Amino acid sequence: MAKTFTIFLTTPPYSSENTLTAVRIADSALRKGHSVNLIASGDGVYCFLKKQKAKGLPHAGDLFSELIEKGLKVYL
Amino acid sequence: MRLAVILTKAPYGDTQAAEAVRHAIGATGEEIEVKLLLVDDGVYLAKKGQDEAASGYTNLGETLKDIIDLGGEVFVEKASLKDSGLETEDIIEGLSIVNGYELSQILLDVDKTMIF
Amino acid sequence: MLVLIKSSPHTSEGKRGLKIARDTSSDIVLLQDGVYFMINDMLDGFCGTAYAVKEDVALRGLSDVIRGVKIIDWDDLIDKMVEEDKVVGMF
Repeated sequence: MAKTFTIFLTTPPYSSENTLTAVRIADSALRKGHSVNLIASGDGVYCFLKKQKAKGLPHAGDLFSELIEKGLKVYL
Repeated sequence: MRLAVILTKAPYGDTQAAEAVRHAIGATGEEIEVKLLLVDDGVYLAKKGQDEAASGYTNLGETLKDIIDLGGEVFVEKASLKDSGLETEDIIEGLSIVNGYELSQILLDVDKTMIF
Repeated sequence: MLVLIKSSPHTSEGKRGLKIARDTSSDIVLLQDGVYFMINDMLDGFCGTAYAVKEDVALRGLSDVIRGVKIIDWDDLIDKMVEEDKVVGMF
């Protein structure tokens, strides 16, 4: 049965591993046919800034953009 | 100039380990004598066999070898290693295991210390 | 109940997560720095099932120190979260 996942993301993109964890959970849940909402609150909103230039760790802007195309709903 | 870089945090969970190795490698390029000291959860950086695969992370374990190749030294504190549950054979080759007293002597010996 | 633990065994959050799992007879999922609980006997006294996320285990080089922990991928985690009546975390 399809369910709804709601991820509450409050950490900035490059100071914890939460970015990758949120991306992996959202990606897997979407592929399994669930709905996924992501609420970015506080510093979490920085994950969605344009023109990020991250290197050496997962790129929040690119990864979340791909997920939005796959159906992730993001609320800031 | 002699610089000690102390790392107290595990790799990947936050960016302190990446920052510590970045500044340690950067300092070797400036002809600074670099000593990277792994204490507390910092010892997890020394675990063999880290596999970044498609995670998007840089393999930080491999960067310890770069520090050594560039002439830096990496030390692992014995008591922290014991607390981590890791054994000497779990650790990347080329690192030195030191006790708390030896660690303090290194800090006495260097000119500057950075803590991550 | 399923408890997600993302903090290392030496942090108050990590210890809190494990205590809550123990007190509520819950299973745990270890991810991020929580996977360091797999080393040696850091889960001593925990009677539930412990799972650990493969990607985070491999990243830290811990594939060779697995003791009594079931390795799962992200898809397995999603299935577990859907099956469980309640999920708490991440500690």
